[in-house]
Amino acid sequence: MTSTTTKPGAAIAPGTSDAALIEIAHLDKSYGAFKALEDMQFELRAGEVHVLFGENGAGKSTLIQIICGVQPFDSGSYRLFGETLSSLTPALAHAKGVSVVFQEFSLIPDMTVEENLFLGHEITSGGRLAKSAMHKKVQAVLDRLGFHLDSSARVSTLRRAHQQMVEIAKALLWDCQVLILDEPTASLTDHEAAQLFDIIEQLRSEGLGIVYVSHRMPEISRLADRVTVLRDGKFIATVNKADTSEKELVQLMTGRTFDEFFPHIQRNPGDTVLAFRDVTLQSGLAENISFSVRRGEVLGFAGLAGCGKSEVLRAAFGLEAVETGAITTGGTKLDNNSPRKALNNRICYLPSDRATEGLAMHQSLIANSTIAALDDPVFSLGNMLLNRRAETSFTEKMIDKLKIRTPGLHAKADQLSGGNKQKLMIARGLSREFDVFLFDEPTVGVDIQAKLEIYDVIKTLTEEGKAVVIASSELAEVMHMSHRVIVMREGEIVGELDGDAVTENALLSHFFDHGDQDTDQPQGHPTS
Amino acid sequence: MSDQTQVSGHSLRAIGPHLLLPLAIVAVVAFFALLQPAMLSGDNIANIMKQSSLFFFVACAQLVVIITRGFDLSVGANVSLVSVASSMVMTAMIPVFGTGLGIVLGVGIGLLIGVGIGAMNGLLVAYGRINPFIVTLATMSIFTGVATTISGGFPIFNLPEAFSFAFNQMIILMLPIPLIIAGVVAYGLHFSLTKTVHGRVLYVLGDSNEVALVAGRRVKEHLFLAYVTSGVLASVAGLLMTAQTGSGEPNLGTSLVLNSIAAAVIGGASLRGGSGGILAPIYGALLIVCLSIGMNLQQINGSLQPVVIGAILIFGAALDALRTRER
Repeated sequence: MTSTTTKPGAAIAPGTSDAALIEIAHLDKSYGAFKALEDMQFELRAGEVHVLFGENGAGKSTLIQIICGVQPFDSGSYRLFGETLSSLTPALAHAKGVSVVFQEFSLIPDMTVEENLFLGHEITSGGRLAKSAMHKKVQAVLDRLGFHLDSSARVSTLRRAHQQMVEIAKALLWDCQVLILDEPTASLTDHEAAQLFDIIEQLRSEGLGIVYVSHRMPEISRLADRVTVLRDGKFIATVNKADTSEKELVQLMTGRTFDEFFPHIQRNPGDTVLAFRDVTLQSGLAENISFSVRRGEVLGFAGLAGCGKSEVLRAAFGLEAVETGAITTGGTKLDNNSPRKALNNRICYLPSDRATEGLAMHQSLIANSTIAALDDPVFSLGNMLLNRRAETSFTEKMIDKLKIRTPGLHAKADQLSGGNKQKLMIARGLSREFDVFLFDEPTVGVDIQAKLEIYDVIKTLTEEGKAVVIASSELAEVMHMSHRVIVMREGEIVGELDGDAVTENALLSHFFDHGDQDTDQPQGHPTS
Repeated sequence: MSDQTQVSGHSLRAIGPHLLLPLAIVAVVAFFALLQPAMLSGDNIANIMKQSSLFFFVACAQLVVIITRGFDLSVGANVSLVSVASSMVMTAMIPVFGTGLGIVLGVGIGLLIGVGIGAMNGLLVAYGRINPFIVTLATMSIFTGVATTISGGFPIFNLPEAFSFAFNQMIILMLPIPLIIAGVVAYGLHFSLTKTVHGRVLYVLGDSNEVALVAGRRVKEHLFLAYVTSGVLASVAGLLMTAQTGSGEPNLGTSLVLNSIAAAVIGGASLRGGSGGILAPIYGALLIVCLSIGMNLQQINGSLQPVVIGAILIFGAALDALRTRER
């Protein structure tokens, strides 16, 4: 069913013998002085899932935009189905059989599934819409994909996962040989993601070539046939998944070995400074939580998105109401906890959502770095008059110490990049004395350099005798940064690992249920 | 490339209040001076100064709550009620306690009313979590009604000369007293916004309530205090305007609501909260008063003036939207 053309040109990636759907060689793309892609190579064969792997800003998006004709390229060669292309438009790419599902959906919420699928490509007969023909075609595609969707439902009434199914159906409605998926699981629950993987595997067996953009390791292990690693706009390597390991991939992606990447943090456990006893939250998002953290150690919370790990941290900071149980710090019981109370009990929380909870985006670096410490006599006289000199010198010190890259002291938080925003939040954590640091997704949306710098701060804090709690969806992060890891699933603690017992396999086996306790987790395979 | 947009957005914002507005004010004055040389007469300049000073307080009242991403639609009702209530107290008390104490009591009542209206707004907005637009729309209606009811809808005459002299006509070192008071208030407000913890928290909570909360600030108390400040500033305006007219007027504040928002916004305060300093009400008040006095001199129909104010408000809000998009 695929139009297999043999390629006469030179082989690019190692060991190609099958027909290549896409061949890209020596491709360059610049935006002004910024080189988005340099000497890029990529090859996609029929019947494979080819993962594009790299950090944010590595050039993955630029590459797929070139493949589907949204962006032109400067130089190099791009062969699609054996044909050398010099210019390509999205419409032409679509007509040739290249379909893309971007992270941002292209659906119109107030239209039905069916209307959306045919948007711009309506089937007509004699100038009128051929509704029954369209309906038949939609049903055929939905059946083929095994989607149970009502094609007359409005898109706005569908859940996000179902909207994504519509996007995929839209991509496959027309003869399609190349399907590009850009971070497709970013907003899906675990169960929905498992469903998506089944569909992708089915499409692969039908002979489609699939370009899959992701930096999530479990997905790559499950789906990939080959992986092309990009770093800073440069082609690093194309490897067969069978011949590689997570370690190698991360090493290729970051240019560092695993051991160098995560710092070694000394463990000197001291007093217990934060303890939960049988805590159940009013929201029900976490139940019967008991644990304690001591000075000089890093406690990690691992688990899939929505498992309740973030809520546990928020409860410690008074952002989630406690129904039963007790949270204590030192000897004090935190009843009617609030951020103010938690801060006064020397607990610092760094939210995962910097934009809504973390930083006042239109205020200066100074205002943001000291806002949590204004009642400290260092920064204000009697909690009334600001000591602006102290604020300024503190902020300058933090910019220096945390290497915050900023246009200036009076720049707005908004003007900083993701990593520098995160560092600005950490500066706030250093603005007064804390015993406990709660990091909720400490490196989400942060570039690799900033990530390393943040890890360094965590190391320093811990070794200075602070208690650090990290909740992270990034397995490697929580695994390598923590001395002890608590795994959560569906609002409950399902395991605790200590020291050398913290291994990837041990963690993953706790992530997913094997059917002995709960019921509705039929597709949770931890690794391939 | 993103750097460039940030830089241009930054410089546009920097230029916005610092240069654009003084130029606009000069342009307005120059324009009317060409049509009517009387615009630049000493008397008229003094008049502009005095009127701007009076209007400045309401613009300040508006600024304080706009910083918190709020509104105060009750400033006009506040001015009206303060005007009639303080006049009634003065006229009633002077025969009993004498002029001096009578005036003090009248002024005291006026300020207390400001605190009261501000506290009511603040309670409902900060602790009742009701939308400030609705709250102050309601209190506007309530206190306008109270002002009309207690005065029977008629002005209150026979205010003591000393009151008008002390709060309007007195000149110290060639400066009219309203301008001196405005200067003191401007300094106080500027100090409070830029050099106190309260001011800092107002900007942060205006930017994002959650951020202020997560940073451990007492968000409700600060918000409450902002509305009280707004109420007091409006009542000061009410007292000074009463001293200017020489009588208690139940509809003294009617036109002030829109004008005050227009002044704060055109002066550079953002309706999205978290920005705007003392220059906003200063420039805003000067611009609007110059326009209004110029139009009076030119004998432009009085009912056309609201049209101009409305256009200014839209222009100011559009500038704000533009600035926001650029950042």
